Amino acid sequence: MKKYRTRKGDGSFIELNENELKAELEQGTSDAADRGKISPLSKEELQYLFELFTYPSKFISVEMGNEVILSYDAATLKVRRVGVSTHRIQSLQVYEKLLGADMLEFDHVDYSIKPVKPIITFEQPELEQALLVTTLPLYYGAQPNLGLYNQPDGPCPNPGELYAAGKISEAQDSQEKAVEYAVSDMVQVGSEMYESGADGINFDTTGAAGDTDFLATLKAVEILRKKFPDMCIEVGMAGEFILGMHGGLSYDDVRLAGLYPHKQIELAQKAGVSIFGPVCNTKTDRSIPWNSARAVTYIKECVKNSKIPIHANMGMGVGGLPMVDHPPTDVVSRASKAMVEITRLDGL
Amino acid sequence: MGKEELFKQAMDAIISSDLKKAEEIAKKAIGEGIDPMELMSRGFRVGITRIGDLFERGEMFLPELIRSAEVMKSVSELIISALPEESREKSGVVLIGTVQGDIHDIGKILVASLLKANGFEVHDVGHDVSVETFIEKAQELNVDIIGSSALLTTTMKYQKDLEGELKRRDLRDRFKTMVGGAPVTQRWADRIGADAYGEDATDAVRRAFELLGKS
Ligand code: B1M
Repeated sequence: MKKYRTRKGDGSFIELNENELKAELEQGTSDAADRGKISPLSKEELQYLFELFTYPSKFISVEMGNEVILSYDAATLKVRRVGVSTHRIQSLQVYEKLLGADMLEFDHVDYSIKPVKPIITFEQPELEQALLVTTLPLYYGAQPNLGLYNQPDGPCPNPGELYAAGKISEAQDSQEKAVEYAVSDMVQVGSEMYESGADGINFDTTGAAGDTDFLATLKAVEILRKKFPDMCIEVGMAGEFILGMHGGLSYDDVRLAGLYPHKQIELAQKAGVSIFGPVCNTKTDRSIPWNSARAVTYIKECVKNSKIPIHANMGMGVGGLPMVDHPPTDVVSRASKAMVEITRLDGL
Repeated sequence: MGKEELFKQAMDAIISSDLKKAEEIAKKAIGEGIDPMELMSRGFRVGITRIGDLFERGEMFLPELIRSAEVMKSVSELIISALPEESREKSGVVLIGTVQGDIHDIGKILVASLLKANGFEVHDVGHDVSVETFIEKAQELNVDIIGSSALLTTTMKYQKDLEGELKRRDLRDRFKTMVGGAPVTQRWADRIGADAYGEDATDAVRRAFELLGKS
């Protein structure tokens, strides 16, 4: 039987025959449906994915008219992360003028709210300069990164150590305290950068420290929304479900731990988020067809439940793409086309 | 009550973190002459494995996992004390840490908790741990397994360095090695010569038992 070349989640090549490829797609969508308790992709959608992954061209794209917004988080970091030494503002120009970006984020190399706070007066004039040489919507962004509020990096007793010592309620109390600190910092950084002219604020990799991280973000968004009714606030997620590092936190009477993208979006909307960036994590040991079918299943349900624009995370290790520094175009283009044309989202 | 029913109740006691119930079952089983190791592997350990799986799916959260792990620890002690002196051995000693330059530690904390819950003596050396520290601590604590976690493609190389350094110091045969973390795969483990790859926390426990010939 004819073999089709594709990849695994670690980027390595594999070859699958028709039956194997179809089985991977079916298992990928069933895995998401089972975990998220949502519908799997239909037969037609799976057939469509099969055609994308067997199409002979190396690179494929969406049909004309199906283009979506391309927004880049951590844009001033990514060029430098791969060893190209550019200034932050030049990185933005490269994205806008050479790579066709529609929305960009200006950020600091530490990329977390807490370390940005003490240097905000240095960030403001740079952002102002960046705004002068770009025309697209420019966010200021950073990660809530609640881990930085724990000892030894911050004031709160380390929940990891407390848990290890069996001190569960102490660990939970400490995490709740971290939420308070984080909300205050997120509101301060968000307000000051917005007042300096940023077109919006992006809280990226939200949920990285679990339910505390997500709660802090929702609370900060709620406050910022009241303060600045017209502000564009994007929230990008860290993982496909909210890790229950605290386990007992809720927002609007909904327990946060264990929420999958289609439920996360409901709370994000309530808090006042303008654009939501859901995530599906890549399993490096499984094939890209499996990962892509799985990612599309989650995001489709999220789009269905959303009244606000959805810009799904598609990059290394998320959205069905391999976890490598330079995700290869053969699978990036296939997974992206699948994401756009099946889920009907608004941006990547 | 039949043996199978007792095993099921043992599993349920772990899932519901019910220490009193778990101890009652352990005592009852021992009193009825049921093999304590069978009760462990077909009852209590099934429960803690299920907890790990539920956590991976977002259906159970860290406090519950920790509570169940504590129950598991107490019950393991009870069972071990019921074993004849000569067969009272620990599951094994594991050193675990996140490699140099990498601060991702959530997955590693989970792996460490589940290993502990399964009777391993676990020494967690934290995150951003140099190859040098891994080796020094492994020697000092005389561990059986060195487990390293790496979450970044840029830090995986330290797992390879660890293998190389163990060989260079003629220590490779003294320890078993296990690697894990989101970008890590069986293929990577094979390439660098690690003894095992753990896909998730439950798998890590299974591999650790296999490495020590106790599967
Ligand atoms: C010994 O034997 C074993 C056996 C099994 C083992 C094992 C050991 N270790 C793990 N396992 C296995 O069992 C565990 C339980 O099932 C599993 O552990 P995991 O850790 O996989 O799973 C956990 C339960 C949940 N997963 C996680 O905790 C990781 C989630 C993601 C979102 C993530 C998080 C949370 C964070 N991050 Co980071 N982060 C990402 C992650 C995205 C992803 N796809 O994984 C990843 C890994 N991060 C990434 C990046 C780039 C970064 N992060 C960074 C920072 C952070 C936070 C601090 C915000 C936070 C970490 C908080 C903490 N205390 O751990 C930075 C690096 C910091 C550093 N030097 O380490 C920074 C560079 C971002 C920046 N510019 O600041 C990406 C790596 C890409 C790459 N090519 O390597 C990334 C894939 C996200 C992305 N798509 O960009 C298994 O892997």
